[in-house]
Amino acid sequence: MNWEFIEKYLPMYEKAALLTVKIGIVGILFAILVGLICAAVQYYKVPVLRWIVAVYVELSRNTPLLVQLFFIYYGFPKIGIRMSAELCGVVGLAFLGGSYMAESFRSGLESVEPIQSESAISLGMNSRQVLGYVILPQAMSTSIPAFVANIIFLLKETSVFSAISLMDLMFTAKDLIGLYYKTTESLFLLVVFYLLILLPVSIIGSLVERRMRYAGFGD
Amino acid sequence: MKRKAWRNVLALALTGVLALGLTACGSSDSKTADAGSAAAADGKAVYRTLDEIKESGTINIGVFSDKNPFGYVDENGEYQGYDVYYARRLGEDLGVDVNFVSTEAANRIEYLQTGKVDVILANFTVTPERAEEVDFASPYMNVSLGVVSKDDNVITSLDNWNADDSIIVISGTTAETYLIANYPDIPLQKFDSYATAKEAFENGTSVAWANDNTEVIAFALQNEGYTVGIPSLGSADTIAPAVSKGNTTLLDWINDEIVALGEENFFHADYEATLADTYGLDYEDSLVVEGGKVNAQ
Repeated sequence: MNWEFIEKYLPMYEKAALLTVKIGIVGILFAILVGLICAAVQYYKVPVLRWIVAVYVELSRNTPLLVQLFFIYYGFPKIGIRMSAELCGVVGLAFLGGSYMAESFRSGLESVEPIQSESAISLGMNSRQVLGYVILPQAMSTSIPAFVANIIFLLKETSVFSAISLMDLMFTAKDLIGLYYKTTESLFLLVVFYLLILLPVSIIGSLVERRMRYAGFGD
Repeated sequence: MKRKAWRNVLALALTGVLALGLTACGSSDSKTADAGSAAAADGKAVYRTLDEIKESGTINIGVFSDKNPFGYVDENGEYQGYDVYYARRLGEDLGVDVNFVSTEAANRIEYLQTGKVDVILANFTVTPERAEEVDFASPYMNVSLGVVSKDDNVITSLDNWNADDSIIVISGTTAETYLIANYPDIPLQKFDSYATAKEAFENGTSVAWANDNTEVIAFALQNEGYTVGIPSLGSADTIAPAVSKGNTTLLDWINDEIVALGEENFFHADYEATLADTYGLDYEDSLVVEGGKVNAQ
C-alpha cells in the first residue's frame, strides 16, 4: 500500500464523494416526490392517471439505471433535449427511484386494512383525520424499512454514473487506475468512501425504523 | 382469508424456484470462471508461460471491441481490425485458438496484471510508465496524439484555451496523461469507452476530442463535418503488443515472430486488409512498423 499516493489523491475522492452525495440527495428527494405522487394516484385509483403510473412503474423498475442514463444522456440530445451530465444523473435517479419509492409507499398504504378507515369514519372522523391519525402512521411504519433500503440502493446505483462521464467515486477510481496503475490503493479508497457515505445512512435508517415501529401497535 | 393463504403459498413457492434457479446459474458460472483463472489462483505468477498456453490450446488476447478500424466487432459479431488481424496470425503461428477478450483503455494493464489475458493487442501505446507495469514487445505501428474538432470551430492550437470549453478524452489513454501533464488548465470530459466518447462528441458535449491521431483521423474521414486541426501532438510513439511483467517466454516468442513477419511484409498486408478502406494508401508507410524496426521520420 502506497500511502503517499493515497494522500495525494484523497482530495480527488473527496470531490467525487461530494458529487455522489450531491446528486444522490437531489435525485432521491425528487424520487420521493415522484413516489408520493404515484402512490397517491394508485391508492386513490385516479382514473387514467393510474394506468400511466402503472406503465411508468413497470418501465422504470424493469430497466437498469445504466440503460436509462444512456437514453437520457446519449439519446435525448438527438431529439433536441440537451442536459448537463449532472442533471442527467439527477433525472436518472429520480426516474428509477420514483417507481421504487412509489411501490414502497403503496405497499404501506395498502397494508392498512380498509376496516380501519371504515371504523374511523363510523366514529365520526373526517377524511383528513382518517388519513392523518389512522392510515398514515401505520402506513409509514410499514414502508420505512423499504424506504431506507431504497435510499441505500439508489446511492449505490450512482456507481454507474461513470458511463455518462460524471466523475463520481467509481469513475475516479477507474481513472486513477488507468492513469497511474495503483489498483490496490485506488480500490481501497473507493471502498472506504462508499462505506463513509452509506454506513451513516444505514445506521440512521435502522434507528428511525425502530422508533417508527411503535406506530404499528396503535399508540 | 383462504385465498390470501393460497397466495402466500404461491409466493413462497415462486421465491423458492427463483432462488434455486439463481444458485444453479451461479454455480455453473463459477465453474467456467475457475477454469479461466486457474493459473492466477495458485502460485504467484499470474501469467501463463508459452508452454502453458500451447498446452491449453487457447490464447487469450485482449482487443478493443469498439475501435474501428483497429479492433471492433462487425455486424456479424466477428472481431475485426488491424490488431485483430495480427492477433489471428499470432494464434495461427502458435498453433492455438484465439479467445478474444474485449477490453477498455483503462483496464488494459489490469487485465495483464491479473492474468485475464495473455497478450494485449489493443492499440497499446508504449510509454515508460506503462513499461514499468507490463512488458512491451517490439512495435508494430507508429502513433502520436491528435485533436479533432467541428468544421465550424476548428481547433489548431491548445494554447490560450478558453476555460469554458472542454476536451473529450478516454480514461486511461495517452491523450489523457499528456493533457493532464502539459495542459493542466484545460477541462477534460472523460469517458470510459470509445463508443460513448464518440457518441458524446457527436452530440456536441465538447468542442474537441483528443486521442491517438490514427483514431481522430479515422473519425474525421468517417464522419462528415469534422476536421483534424492538430494532426500531431506530443512525441511520436509506437504501438506494441504487451504481456504480463516477467512473462519472458511469451515475450521472446512474440519478438521473434514480429521479425519473421517483417520478412513477408505482414503488417503492410494487414494495413491493406483492414486500414486501407479508412485511410487510403497514403498513410501506409508512415503508420506501419515492419519487423519491429521504427524508421526515423
